[in-house]
Amino acid sequence: MHRRFALEKIFFSIASVIIIILIVSIAFYSRKDEPSSQNSLNVLNWTSYIPNEVINNFEKEYGIKVNYGTYSSNEELLAKLTSSREGTYDLVFPSDYMVDLMISRNLLEPLDLKKLQNVNNLNTLFLGQSYDSDNSYSLPFLLATTVFIYDSTKIDRLTSYKDLQNPELENDIVMLDDQRIVIGAMLNACGYNMNDVHEDHLESSLEFFNKIKPNIKAFDSDSPKTFFITKEVDAGLVWNAEAILAREENPELKISYPAEGFTLSMDNYTIVKGAKNIESAYLFIDYLLRPEVAQMIVDEYPYISTNKYVESLPEIELKQILANGSYVENVGSDIKKFDKLWAKYK
Amino acid sequence: MSQHNPELAGISAYNQSKPGKRFDLFKATFTLPVILYSIFLILIPLIYILFLSFLKSDNYGGYLFEFNLENYGEVLNSTYITIFLKSAGIGLITTFICLLISYPFAIFLRDIPEKRRNFIMKLVMVPFLTNSLIRTYGLITILRKNGVINSALTGAGIISSPLPLMYNNLGIIIGMVYTLLPFMLLPVCSAVAKVDQNLLDAAEDLGAGRFAKFFKIYLPLTLQGAFNGSLMVFIPAIGYFFIADILGGGKAMIIGNLIKNQFLTARNWPLGAALSIILLLFTFVLVRIYRRIGGKLDDLGGG
Repeated sequence: MHRRFALEKIFFSIASVIIIILIVSIAFYSRKDEPSSQNSLNVLNWTSYIPNEVINNFEKEYGIKVNYGTYSSNEELLAKLTSSREGTYDLVFPSDYMVDLMISRNLLEPLDLKKLQNVNNLNTLFLGQSYDSDNSYSLPFLLATTVFIYDSTKIDRLTSYKDLQNPELENDIVMLDDQRIVIGAMLNACGYNMNDVHEDHLESSLEFFNKIKPNIKAFDSDSPKTFFITKEVDAGLVWNAEAILAREENPELKISYPAEGFTLSMDNYTIVKGAKNIESAYLFIDYLLRPEVAQMIVDEYPYISTNKYVESLPEIELKQILANGSYVENVGSDIKKFDKLWAKYK
Repeated sequence: MSQHNPELAGISAYNQSKPGKRFDLFKATFTLPVILYSIFLILIPLIYILFLSFLKSDNYGGYLFEFNLENYGEVLNSTYITIFLKSAGIGLITTFICLLISYPFAIFLRDIPEKRRNFIMKLVMVPFLTNSLIRTYGLITILRKNGVINSALTGAGIISSPLPLMYNNLGIIIGMVYTLLPFMLLPVCSAVAKVDQNLLDAAEDLGAGRFAKFFKIYLPLTLQGAFNGSLMVFIPAIGYFFIADILGGGKAMIIGNLIKNQFLTARNWPLGAALSIILLLFTFVLVRIYRRIGGKLDDLGGG
């Protein structure tokens, strides 16, 4: 009996050692299985920003395999870049303030505009923005703005943040779940810049917001359009593309720009420092700069295209949007003030 | 002690008869994965978080190697204390509702045949087969303004305007109770099932009504199970930020949201780490209390 037990023990020990060796070797082998640097491109982009069809067409045309990863905030992008080995990603799409931050942390490769045949398709209005004034590291891709959206059968107008205090809108508003945007909007409403960090100004923004608070049903950044499609709310402060998509479902919805100012968010083509597939990255940018490709993107995700050949708003209106809106700026350690205030907002 | 206990004495004699310490390949190969798992996925990250909580944020999601206690001071800020209290409130209400549901269910289950009892317990487990995030999104279609409940009630003419079932604290509590109820049901049911029938019979003979039976017999004898369940409901209830986000409409912050925000939007990892450590200490204290009243750690893990 004893001997048999011992034999069994030995058998199991050997079996488990073999299994462990197998697992370890599979783990090592799969590491080698990383995509070869030839004919591939590692892109990291916002979730739902480029239709799959656009990527597939590019792969077919150039024979380049696109490894497409996504992120849902600039901070997530930064975390992914700084925690991975250099050369893991080639092309990323940071927003305005993150471009600034990435340049200052030396994470981006300077762009050689000569390599882009289609660079002249860009509307010059969108070039030379404050975060990269000579476009040496970034080129504008898509512009998002916060807008008001409201059901015209419920309220007559919504053009000013004051209108959000309307008691008829009780528990009837959705806002983006983003501290910089909402606090920024309230700062705008009080006549300050949305990047203002003065304690008194922040405090008065809270006072203004407290009058809107009873009207707020939810903060949501993932899919605020759903609130309008299901008629859960009648007014909101959301991204322009979300508003346009909601209006396609319900034509009674109207869109307007907040008179006191609003948030602009420009996403940009940037090449990561130490990228292994720089040539492919340029090819992909050049491809996305084609008018018909740019059109396909905004057909699916109706942000404002930076391509001058894409059907868009009139030039005067675009100029006005750029003049009235402002970008979120990096406020350094003052971000703590926003964070604490946000807890009070909620 | 062990010398007086024949059973224990037997065990130690058995141990002595075995050849002393010897490397046991069999045991080692089977425990190694668990040990590696604990070291790499629990211990090292925990030490990292502890270490991080004493550093200073560089405001870009990184940290500077300057040892300080500022983060812990920050936690005591009144704004954050309010969030801690609010989370505790939501956690306590959730726990209490779960207890209220679990006891009648457990007492009902006690009296039915074992075969059917097992079947009912299986039904309790079925929702676990689906991801909790998906279940929470599913709740939206039931609870929202034009959702199943409100359409049915307005359609039947019972209410004239839709009930505010979600995008408020009620929505969060509904979501928490729904998600966490099984953690209460299982320990309470097994504790109630173990209550000696003789005691109940005796109580009945002496004229105890339902309430007297509950408060004098069930409750004192199942306190440990109830506390075990409460622990497993309360602790997740203060941390499940996705339920607060989805069903609370992002309006209410619980500790979970606060920690998530530090890591994602405020880019202040050291503060997030300090908050996590505080939460961990809090949990640790609760577990200590649980053990003090005689609970076993194994019961917490087994569910």
